[in-house]
Amino acid sequence: MTTTDIGVNDDTGQGADGRRPRPWEGGFWLSEWAFPLLVASLASGIFAGTHLYYTYQTGVFNEVAVVALLKAGMENGSYGAAAAFGAGFLFARIIEAPMVGILDIGGSLQTGVGIGIPAMLLAAGVTAPLEHFWLALPTGAVIGLAIGWLVLVIRRATLNSPDAGSTFGADVMMGAGNSAGRYLGPLVILAAATASVPVGLGSTLGAILFYWWKKPLTGGAILGAMAAGLFFPIAK
Amino acid sequence: MNETLTILLESAVIGALIGFGAGAGVARMFHAPKAQGMGAFRTLGELNACENDPIAHFSFGFGFFFNAWASTVGAGALSGDVDHRIVPHWAASIAMFKNRNLAETLHNPRRMALTGAAVGIVLISLLNTTAASIPHSLQSVASQVLGPASDWLLNPVMPIIFWMAAVDAGRRTGGWGTVLGGIAHIVMGNAVPGIVLGIVVGKGIDDMGWNRITKSLTAAVVALFVASSFLRGVDMDLLEQMKIGVPGWLHQLHESTGTAGQ
Repeated sequence: MTTTDIGVNDDTGQGADGRRPRPWEGGFWLSEWAFPLLVASLASGIFAGTHLYYTYQTGVFNEVAVVALLKAGMENGSYGAAAAFGAGFLFARIIEAPMVGILDIGGSLQTGVGIGIPAMLLAAGVTAPLEHFWLALPTGAVIGLAIGWLVLVIRRATLNSPDAGSTFGADVMMGAGNSAGRYLGPLVILAAATASVPVGLGSTLGAILFYWWKKPLTGGAILGAMAAGLFFPIAK
Repeated sequence: MNETLTILLESAVIGALIGFGAGAGVARMFHAPKAQGMGAFRTLGELNACENDPIAHFSFGFGFFFNAWASTVGAGALSGDVDHRIVPHWAASIAMFKNRNLAETLHNPRRMALTGAAVGIVLISLLNTTAASIPHSLQSVASQVLGPASDWLLNPVMPIIFWMAAVDAGRRTGGWGTVLGGIAHIVMGNAVPGIVLGIVVGKGIDDMGWNRITKSLTAAVVALFVASSFLRGVDMDLLEQMKIGVPGWLHQLHESTGTAGQ
């Protein structure tokens, strides 16, 4: 699905030379070297989030199940599981990212930089970057720069190399990624109907209202479920 | 310094950093493969599912906001949805509120980075300092409705969508996707990374044949699967489930590297 399919024009209108340049054209924001800086910003924040968790028990950017691996290490000192889990994800995502054009921030940064690398540091007895906020920020930034740079290097060697005649199926994956979101609305209604009768009815009602108003039904399904849950709490 | 104040100030800095990076990365995804983006395929799909409607973007992020709030109360974990869903959708919603032109909003890295940073500051500060005050009934709806729905999307819906895309893209891509997808589900617990790598390898060979790039790519993929199956202790599971005893040296190797499986 492209933006023209849903009735939205990507054109930015008229300018002196027929059209006005888009805000980022020829500038920093879509350039190749902006990428490592953006990764550094995100990685720095995520690493500092882990620092916040290490010192104040809140703020790590990951699912409860993954954080439990790090927590187990903080309690009994065996960081092997967290380190292996995080490093595995980081490695996989760095190889995948240049090929598909998207660096998965869940696997690479949230799990790799947020869980795996802190676990490795702690296993090696290095606690300073996790204890001090102003040390956590540059540590995360340097790790992020390295990841972004590595992705660009692999990208140059494959996708952008002069003898490369392939986009490695990026179009196939973009198509699948685009269509995946369409399934979410129905899935929310199914989950709501499984949770309780009033919540299921609320979710269905919200979805059909949004559909009638020509809005995506996912939003209606979520809002309907939450409104019903406020009046008829789900019994545990 | 007061502990809550420290958490609040640090959260604001962290929020600005992650919002800035995630916002710009998400906008760049719409220009892939020309520009290297940062986000996830599901983020891309969900942003498209909201069809350029600020209210839909807001309510989608809103549902996951309660989920993240609940998870912060319970475990101090903000949940992965903060970077993947809440920040991108709320930034998109705010950016589109007055201007529905996608090129100037959702697809514009500068606009998304700055809006994302503002969203991040408020969101992370709020999550880290007020998690305990969330209404209980909303918390349970969020975790019992959105939790299962997003779990199902991740597994099995997304693997099937990617699998069908791989199969439809030709015999070689379908073959690589099937083999790597099946093994990935065994080794990593989710087939999507394997199918994606299968499409990469299969399409690469389709377009360029066996040259230096595709050979080193395939070698890297094989190394990745071998390394992650060792790190997650799948080799020991395989031997045990085939009723073959695990040799002592292998068990000791896993014990000494802390990779005896979870």
